[in-house]
Amino acid sequence: MNTSKPVAASLAVLGYIIMIVPILFVVATAFTSGSTLRFPPEGFSFQWFEAALDYAPFTGALFTSLQLAVCSTALALAVGVPATLAIHRGSLPGKGLVEGLFLSPLIIPELVVGLALYQQLIITFRIDNFPVLLLGHTALLLPYAVRVTGAALAGSDVSLEEASRGLGASPIRTFFSITLPMLRPGIFSAALLGFVTSFNNVPLSLLLQSRESSTLPVTMLDYVQQNYDPMVAAISTLILAATVVVAVVAERTVGFAKIFGGINR
Amino acid sequence: MNTSHAAAARFESVTQTFGDFAAVDGIDLSIAEGKLTTLLGPSGCGKTTSLRMLAGYARPTSGKIYIQGKDATTAPPEKRGLGMVFQSYALFPHMTVGDNVGYGLKLRKTSRAELQTRVQESLEMVGLSHLAGQKPRKLSGGQQQRVALARAIAIRPRLLLLDEPLSNLDARLRVQMRAEIRRIQNETGLTVVLVTHDQDEALEMSDDMVLMRQGKIMQQGSPEAVFGAPASRFVANFLGYENFLALDSTRQITVRPEHLITTPTSPQDPAAVNPDAAAGPGLHLRGTVVDVAYRGVDVIVTSRALDPTGQQVQLLSNMRADALSHLTPGDEVLLSAPGDRLVALAAEPEAASSAAGAAR
Repeated sequence: MNTSKPVAASLAVLGYIIMIVPILFVVATAFTSGSTLRFPPEGFSFQWFEAALDYAPFTGALFTSLQLAVCSTALALAVGVPATLAIHRGSLPGKGLVEGLFLSPLIIPELVVGLALYQQLIITFRIDNFPVLLLGHTALLLPYAVRVTGAALAGSDVSLEEASRGLGASPIRTFFSITLPMLRPGIFSAALLGFVTSFNNVPLSLLLQSRESSTLPVTMLDYVQQNYDPMVAAISTLILAATVVVAVVAERTVGFAKIFGGINR
Repeated sequence: MNTSHAAAARFESVTQTFGDFAAVDGIDLSIAEGKLTTLLGPSGCGKTTSLRMLAGYARPTSGKIYIQGKDATTAPPEKRGLGMVFQSYALFPHMTVGDNVGYGLKLRKTSRAELQTRVQESLEMVGLSHLAGQKPRKLSGGQQQRVALARAIAIRPRLLLLDEPLSNLDARLRVQMRAEIRRIQNETGLTVVLVTHDQDEALEMSDDMVLMRQGKIMQQGSPEAVFGAPASRFVANFLGYENFLALDSTRQITVRPEHLITTPTSPQDPAAVNPDAAAGPGLHLRGTVVDVAYRGVDVIVTSRALDPTGQQVQLLSNMRADALSHLTPGDEVLLSAPGDRLVALAAEPEAASSAAGAAR
C-alpha cells in the first residue's frame, strides 16, 4: 500500500474491512455444529455442508444456474464480439446509436425487462421458462461483452490488422489470426464478468423462473425466508470458495491487470 | 517526368476528401520502377493519405491508381502484393519474430522448406537472423523496425511502402537505418515509396523526391534538381533556405546562408563605398549585424538589411569561422552573393502563410 497517501490508504483498508468482515461471519457460521445462524458458532462440524449438498433444491438450482451462466455468457459473447468489431472497426452508420442500444440493459431496470419478457414471452406466447431466462440473461450480459471487449479493441493498434491484410490475409483470416488473439484478454474478462453477473442475478431470475428452472440465488432467497439454519451459510461458503478458485486460476493464467486492464484504460 | 523508367505505380487525378477537407487534392504522380521515391511534406500535406491509398487502406474519392499498369483503385490490400512498414512497426505481439516474417509467406502457401529459407534470408538481410525465436516485445525499437522491414520484403513485394519508418528511432539509429534501407533497396532492386517529413532524410535517400503541401504536389524531381532550384518559397523554406527577398516588384529570390558572404565594411574598402559598382552581377546589400552565433567550424551571422525594393529583411549568413574576422552586433557589413547562387522563386499566392519562415 502506498504509505505516502495516508488518507487513501486508510479508506482502502476500511473498504476491505467493510467488504470482508461480514463474509467472514458467514463462513464461520457455516462450520457450526449448532442448528441456527448464530455468531459465534457453537462447535465445529461439516454437517451443514453435507446437508447443503444433499438438499436437492440447492443442487438442482446450482446446476440450472451454472447452465444458465455458461450459456448466456457464450451467447452474449457470440453476439457482442462481432457487434463490438462492427462498432469499432466497421463503417457502420449510426455507431453511437448501436452502441447505446447494446449498453441500454445497464440503465433499464432489470425488473422492468423481466416483467416485459414474462408478460410477452411466457404469458402470451407460452414459451418455456428456461429459454426466456436465457434470453433475459443474455441481454443483461451484452453490455459487458460490448464494453469490455470494446475497451480491449480500442486499446489495440489498428495497423496490426492492416499489416495482416497487406501481407495477403483476407479480412476473415485477419480476424482469426490477429484480432482474436489480441482480444483474448478482453474476451476472457468479459466472460468472467458475464458469468459472475448471470450467476448472481436475482431480479430477472425471480420473474422468469419456474419450479423446474429455479436458479441458486433465488432458491437461497426462498430458503432463508422460511428457515433459519446454517445450510444457507454453507452453500454461500462453497460458492465463495469456487469464486476464489476461479480468481486464482484467472490471475495465474492471464493476470488480473490484463483481464481488467481493459476496463480501467 | 520519369520518362526513362517505367512507372511502378501511377496516380491519376487522385482526390481524397473527408467532408469538406481535401486531404489529397487531384494529384498526378508517377513512381519510377526500381527507384526510391519519397513523399515529403509537413504534417497534413497528404503524403500519408497518398501512401495509404496506394496500399489499399484508403479509397480515393475520385481518380485512379495504377500499380504496374493495372487499375488497382478499388483492389483490397491483400490483393495488391505490396510490402508495408508502419510507423508503429505493427509487429504481431503474439508471434515470434520468425513467425512475423513468415506470416505473408504462409498465406501464400509457400512450402515449409522454402518458407524457412526465405524467413532466414530476409532476417539475414537486416542482420537479425539470431533473433528469429524471440517475441517482438523483447526487441529494441531499432530491432523491431528491422523485423518490420524483413517481414515486408519476405513476400517479395511489387512495391515496398515505408510510412515514416524512422521517426520513432533516436537520431543516431535513424542515420544508420537510412543507409540500411538504401542498401536493401540496392540489393533487392525493389521500388520503394517512403513517406517522411524530414528533408534531410528525403535528400539523402531519394532518387526521386515529391514535395507535397495541402494535398497538392508542389515539386517533383531528383534531390539535386529540387534542392538546387526550389520552384516556390514553400519548397525553398521547407528545404532550409532562410533568406527571402525581392529584387524588384515581380522577382522574388532566395539564397542559402552558406552562399551569402558577410564582409565587414571599412572606410578603406572601395567596395563599401559603392558596392554595386565594385562587385559585378549578384546580390550586394549593406547591412547591420544583429547576432553572431559561433558554432565551432562555422559562424552564423544574422544581419538586417534593406532589399532592393526597400523592404527590411533579416538575412542569415553561414561562414567558415576561420574565414571571418571578428564581428559584433551593430557592425556595418556588406552582404553579397554571386548571381548564380540566387534562386528565383515562382510567385506564390499563399506565400503570406509561410512568410514567417518557421524553419523546421
